[in-house]
Amino acid sequence: MLNLLIGEIKRTWIQFIRYPSEIIGGIIIITTVFYGLFVSAQYMAGPAINFGERLDSVVVGYVLWTLALYIVNDIAFNIQSEAQTGTLEQIFLSPFAAPKIFFARAVASLALRMTIIVLILFILMGITGSQLSFPVGLIFPLLTLLMAAYGLAFVMGSCALVFKRVQQILPIFQFALLFLLAAPTEDWSGRARLIANFLPMLPSTGLLRDLMARGEGLDISLLGVALANGAAYFGLGLLVFGWAERQAKRKGILGGY
Amino acid sequence: MTLPLPMRSAGHLPKVNPLSPNTITLDAQHLKKSYGRGKARFEAVRDVSLRICAGEVLAFLGPNGAGKTTTIKMIGGLVRPDAGKVSIDGLDPHRQSMALKRVGAVLEGNRNLYWRLTPLENIEYFGGLRQVPRRIARQRGEQLLEQFGLSDKRKTPVQKLSRGMQQKLAIAVALVHQPTLLLLDEPTLGLDVEASETVKVLVRDIAAAGCAILLTTHQLDVAEELSDRVAIIRQGQIIAEQPTHELIQQFSGSAYRIDCGQPIDDLKAHQIEALGGTVTGNQVHFSGNGLYELLDILRPLPIREIRQDRADLTDVFLSLIRDNP
Repeated sequence: MLNLLIGEIKRTWIQFIRYPSEIIGGIIIITTVFYGLFVSAQYMAGPAINFGERLDSVVVGYVLWTLALYIVNDIAFNIQSEAQTGTLEQIFLSPFAAPKIFFARAVASLALRMTIIVLILFILMGITGSQLSFPVGLIFPLLTLLMAAYGLAFVMGSCALVFKRVQQILPIFQFALLFLLAAPTEDWSGRARLIANFLPMLPSTGLLRDLMARGEGLDISLLGVALANGAAYFGLGLLVFGWAERQAKRKGILGGY
Repeated sequence: MTLPLPMRSAGHLPKVNPLSPNTITLDAQHLKKSYGRGKARFEAVRDVSLRICAGEVLAFLGPNGAGKTTTIKMIGGLVRPDAGKVSIDGLDPHRQSMALKRVGAVLEGNRNLYWRLTPLENIEYFGGLRQVPRRIARQRGEQLLEQFGLSDKRKTPVQKLSRGMQQKLAIAVALVHQPTLLLLDEPTLGLDVEASETVKVLVRDIAAAGCAILLTTHQLDVAEELSDRVAIIRQGQIIAEQPTHELIQQFSGSAYRIDCGQPIDDLKAHQIEALGGTVTGNQVHFSGNGLYELLDILRPLPIREIRQDRADLTDVFLSLIRDNP
């Protein structure tokens, strides 16, 4: 398994180093879009207003949305592009189980993504003047976020495997995700809060906003909820992916149509 | 040229069968596969059984849509058969993932490789994917690239290589884990003459090293040159399966065709016909025993060509396909 991971890291890294323009372009777009929104918001609010904590919350939400988007789309895009170049079948010819391989790939690209995300975060902090704290404890809700995100990634990957074309669904998903992650669900209560806990990634995002934007401490019970949320979605993702693989083999559509 | 690939003696593959020249590497029995339901039901493969021994090359021929690719994918574990069993060195690729360590496949088209990676990187990566330790994958990679004439291109991204080189590399990648069974789906398709020749030589060498090879192709001359046995499939069923030379022999006559390059005068023509031959223009067709008497009659006419009516695989194939509705 370790060898598999190293192999994937090497491959991802080489492909990035050799053709970095895509990723650099991505960074530029993401930061520019946010800056545009930020400037518009400043204009609307007037020159005297200092956003303070609210800006910090939004920055955290936006960056987490970018991260979640990368992750959730990762597996599906990978499957789609590999189906087009024909290497997908070679992957399924491996004695390693397919979920293992895709997970190793996802982890390998995660390392790259996290670096990019942190870079984006610092750029945004720089240009908007937002101030975030980075306590060590943020690792935990981050991990639960990643678990839930990877669960969704496997679900999207399953769609890509069985339906082959996911381009149509992805934009819808993108915006649903934005709403989910931008809404300050940690301020909700009662039934709305309950629903929020069941939706993927929301508990984790709320916690991260608390930690990074509001400077609060880590609430263990909330972390428990986030962990359950993450584990459940991750498990769901693996199950769905296993089903999708069997379906694709039965229908003989593993490589293409 | 023999490949320095000790196919079976490498320490990584557990020994399943005692090594003998007639070791059966692939045993596929009664494979069936259909798609769709009700009216739209399509039987891609009805009842296909194949057996290949170590070092043997089986050419799998058939018209488009006959079920060749589906069969190959069932053997490789990529498509789940509705019925039947596949056994590679005694292991079932659909149930035991270790079976996949025994198989290498080069599937049809411009595929099987990462375009942004170099040949060496591709070999290392896929080696890792097939559980070959990194260092060994690299060593074998260098050897294979040397053997396939790709050494000077080993640091060039695949997208900059020619089609022929990409195909050779795809075959090298499929061999890095020293499989005992190699599946080649149209290996010479789209290649120019020189690249085709190189691939053909490679296939022969790989078989000589002890690998069993299942090869599908439309190019019957390739099949004729490379295969020990031929299986012809039509509409999901095997309609012929024999050693190649036997099949060709079956369809070949022993008649001679002689081309004189100039018209044969009536006197000679009569004499030839008396002997049992037929004269048409410059050509004589003769199926008797007196070939030398015939040649005496023809003297001193120039003999452009004497050919035995040997069928080639194209003739065999076409007549089988036509005769089997």
